[in-house]
Amino acid sequence: MFGEDDLVRSHQERADIILNVIVISFAILLARLWYLQIYHGKMFFNYSLENRLRKDVVRAPRGMIFSRNNVLLTHNVPRFDAIITPQYLEGDDETIGYLSKILETTPESIVKTLKKYQGQAKYIPVVIKKNISRREVAILETESSKLPGVSVETFISREYTDKDSGAHLLGYISEISQEKIPRYRDRDKYDYKQGDFIGQGGIELQYDLEIRGQDGYQFMEVDARGRARRHVTSDDLYSGIDNKPAEPGKNVRLTIDRDVQLAAYHALDGKDGAAVAVDVESGEIIAMVSRPAYDPSNFSTGLSSNYWGQLVMDEKRPLRDRTIQEHYSPGSTFKPLTAIAALEEGIVDENTKVVCNGGYRMGGRVFHCWKKEGHGVVDVLRALKESCDVYFYSIGNKIDIDVIYKYATLFGMGQRLGIVLPRETKGLIPNRQWKKEQTGVEWQKGETLSCVIGQSFVNVTPLQLTMFYATLANEGKLWRPHVVKEVFSNSGQVLKRVEPELIHQFKIHKRTWDIVHEALFNTANAPGGTAGASKGIGIQMAAKTGTAQVISFSADKIFNKCENQEYKYRNNGLFAAYAPAGSPKIAVSVVIEHGCHGASAGGPVAKAIISAYMNKYYPSYQKKIIAQENAKMSWSQIQEDNRANPVPMVLENDTKDYFDETGKLIRPYTLEKGGQVQTGPLE
Amino acid sequence: MFNFREELKRYDYSFFGICTAIFIIGILNLYSATHSQGIGPEEGLYKTQIVWFILSWIVGIVVSFIQPKNFFRLAYPSYLISVVLLVMVLVVGHSALGGQRWIGFGSLKFQPSEITKIAMVLILSRWYSKASPEQEIGFRELIIPFLITFIPAMMIIVQPDLGTGMLVMLIFFIITFYRKLKWKTITIMAIIAMIGATVVYNFGLREYQKKRITTFIDPEFDAKGSGYNAIQSKIAIGSGQFFGKGFRRSSQGALNYLPENHTDFIFAIFNEEHGFVGSIFLIALYIALFYRLLWLASNVNKIFDSVVVVGILAIFFCHTMINMSMVSGLMPIVGVPLPLMSYGGSNLLTFGICCGIVTSISNARNLF
Repeated sequence: MFGEDDLVRSHQERADIILNVIVISFAILLARLWYLQIYHGKMFFNYSLENRLRKDVVRAPRGMIFSRNNVLLTHNVPRFDAIITPQYLEGDDETIGYLSKILETTPESIVKTLKKYQGQAKYIPVVIKKNISRREVAILETESSKLPGVSVETFISREYTDKDSGAHLLGYISEISQEKIPRYRDRDKYDYKQGDFIGQGGIELQYDLEIRGQDGYQFMEVDARGRARRHVTSDDLYSGIDNKPAEPGKNVRLTIDRDVQLAAYHALDGKDGAAVAVDVESGEIIAMVSRPAYDPSNFSTGLSSNYWGQLVMDEKRPLRDRTIQEHYSPGSTFKPLTAIAALEEGIVDENTKVVCNGGYRMGGRVFHCWKKEGHGVVDVLRALKESCDVYFYSIGNKIDIDVIYKYATLFGMGQRLGIVLPRETKGLIPNRQWKKEQTGVEWQKGETLSCVIGQSFVNVTPLQLTMFYATLANEGKLWRPHVVKEVFSNSGQVLKRVEPELIHQFKIHKRTWDIVHEALFNTANAPGGTAGASKGIGIQMAAKTGTAQVISFSADKIFNKCENQEYKYRNNGLFAAYAPAGSPKIAVSVVIEHGCHGASAGGPVAKAIISAYMNKYYPSYQKKIIAQENAKMSWSQIQEDNRANPVPMVLENDTKDYFDETGKLIRPYTLEKGGQVQTGPLE
Repeated sequence: MFNFREELKRYDYSFFGICTAIFIIGILNLYSATHSQGIGPEEGLYKTQIVWFILSWIVGIVVSFIQPKNFFRLAYPSYLISVVLLVMVLVVGHSALGGQRWIGFGSLKFQPSEITKIAMVLILSRWYSKASPEQEIGFRELIIPFLITFIPAMMIIVQPDLGTGMLVMLIFFIITFYRKLKWKTITIMAIIAMIGATVVYNFGLREYQKKRITTFIDPEFDAKGSGYNAIQSKIAIGSGQFFGKGFRRSSQGALNYLPENHTDFIFAIFNEEHGFVGSIFLIALYIALFYRLLWLASNVNKIFDSVVVVGILAIFFCHTMINMSMVSGLMPIVGVPLPLMSYGGSNLLTFGICCGIVTSISNARNLF
């Protein structure tokens, strides 16, 4: 194995080249070190000794949310935190003791907070007290020389004009906790950092990426105590440093009318439930309220952990948006659907009569009518007006559940309607296949009888119920419900406009529509109608009440007075309506949990919503309605009158979009010079 | 026959000697970097490092008693093992800082890409000493060595650890250059590499890797990440001036203006505390080590041994040069540790084994 010496020696030339490369490399490196340490040494030394560089995040102002009439619903309010930067903390006991006096806390709790963050780098500030008062801010600022390392940090909290009333719809924002950052990074493919706020629920979540804007950053020179000295821009020393301005978030304009929303909210005072109102001819949601609610402002002002705990523990689940995330048995409000299916399929016609004596026997079982003594002889018009269960049981005996399923689907039930809001639930309309798949048991005939009166498996969200009645009102057009009209930049440029979208349109016999319209008008206006108590003035509502059991009662208990039951066993009260009956514009549904009766619990809410809407948008047309009401016109007389003396329905008071000569939208609210929407502080 | 006294008599202490000297400077520096002001969570790092050092040196000394012909035999198995380990990293490895580079044996964590470097040197040396050693190397002779290198290099790059991956390719190039790679071939390779780099940059790199490169070329592109570190590193080095601020007087590192100040940026802390004088002294030690290695490469009597020594020189030199260049702002920040100075067990072990191998080769040189 010897004798390779010559071969090794022959590589000498290459070895020399490598040696040269090594020597030259180090020569360049030494030249570089000389340049940094000797040539610029003094400058760098001064920088390291006296000045520190700090990179501050410049938070992008969050975009605003407006009502359909451009009322500002959100505010970005500056609030203050007291912070300690451990790196600059001096005379620990003294400083902390003094600070604790100012902040009215104990030195121990401050030390405890500091200990908690001991592991992190010492230049990262630790928040000692969130959301301190303006008085505390003033003291901290004037006493800053006695408090080395203590400073005041501004943060922007998100606060809401109408507090609880839009809680579920608008949502809220909260700070992302450290441990959840990776999860949200995965979800949104967005580089979240500590201290970022994120939309949670409602519009704030759904439009988060648009509303949020883009944070920028700003380099600061700070002195040895961490006090900012000057903003740094790219220069000789800091070549390569460039500040990035924040890009403000985009604004969202809703379809929601603030006045109607507030009317709905207050009509639901003291009740648990939901109300949804929609524009019949576009699917624009006009009001959308869920109660119990919460104040979304609390989530970004620092009180959150306590408040959050309360909300989560509350057995009424105030965080849940009952309008779309909860479903309910529609009870009798479902009956128009059964009537339409039966009329269309020829199971009944307008002359079919059924005798109701308070119960309907099928197999070995008696199905009770809500009216113990019975309704006597009823046809479809009276059955709907007085909500006779026996009439519908007789339909249920003849109709197939899959037929009910087909028609309910046409009206948007049992499916997500695609509203752009988080976590919309599907509700449930059963059919044979579903029952078989879910339970392995075939469909039972008796179940159809419960389903046709909106009980048993049938479940709809308040939004679906509203869209069902809107589709009834417009005779077969199912619109996509939506809450956002447009997204626009601070300069007023519309970036995205949401146009009304037809999910589908279907045709059934004109006569069927007429029967149902007349019946629902009579329910609210004719003597004996179940919704007569909520008739109102100048709204000409067509409506249906519903009362849905939340548990099944034994035969002896079923007629016990609802109010005497334990709260959680009381029936849900439902109310669905559209108005004005002669040419419908708005559809509303109301669900009152454990409200006992649809008419008494839900009726006043629907009346309040429709009144607020009609008073605001159709005050002129109301005169005609009131005239018809005063003349006590029947349904056929009203139709006759509308044909003979047509009065155009002019939409009033809605905000029009004005364009300047260049086609740019002009808005009624003011924009500050920088393009930032001007909002005042809330106190 | 193995005669321990004879062995000790011709034992070459120079490599372990120089490396230990550098390590002692390193450990003092590490102590200083983690103990300057206040108490952080990194307090005990220097102790761990000493434990790793002792362990690595024991392994290195054991290796130094292995006959060089056994390295020749071990070339293929060690290569296979390192490829298997790299596959394991990709399948079951631990993630750290956005990369999957670690593999665990119980509580011991370990970076297989370190062992890969040594295995690469051995297998390339074996290949070059066997396949027509008389010839110069052109494209045809390059195919197999290139494949041998490319497979593990790609596995390291997708971990993703671009720095180490490129390092492996660089070691391959230096070894091949030493084994008389034709100048014509070098010229063509340079052209291909330039085109390849353009393509890889545009299609093959992760976002953060791209950022590091663009930050270097155009620091305004992203001042958040690497640009900030580079500036803080420059301030640290520059502020050391001629004599430095003194032991445990670094302010940049202590205040955490320099991230990872005990690993990648240790050279900046050293410069801040010991100034230009200190760095001349440190660099002199590294040059002594490299010169000694190169001398050894030219004075062994087997071509395999010679190439192995050059390969190990390449490992040491590339690490040292890349680290010092990036810290002083001559190169983008790619996360390569400084041999014997940076905190980290895996790379200490690598350098220990390297010392063992070259010592063994040096010892065998005098044996007839």
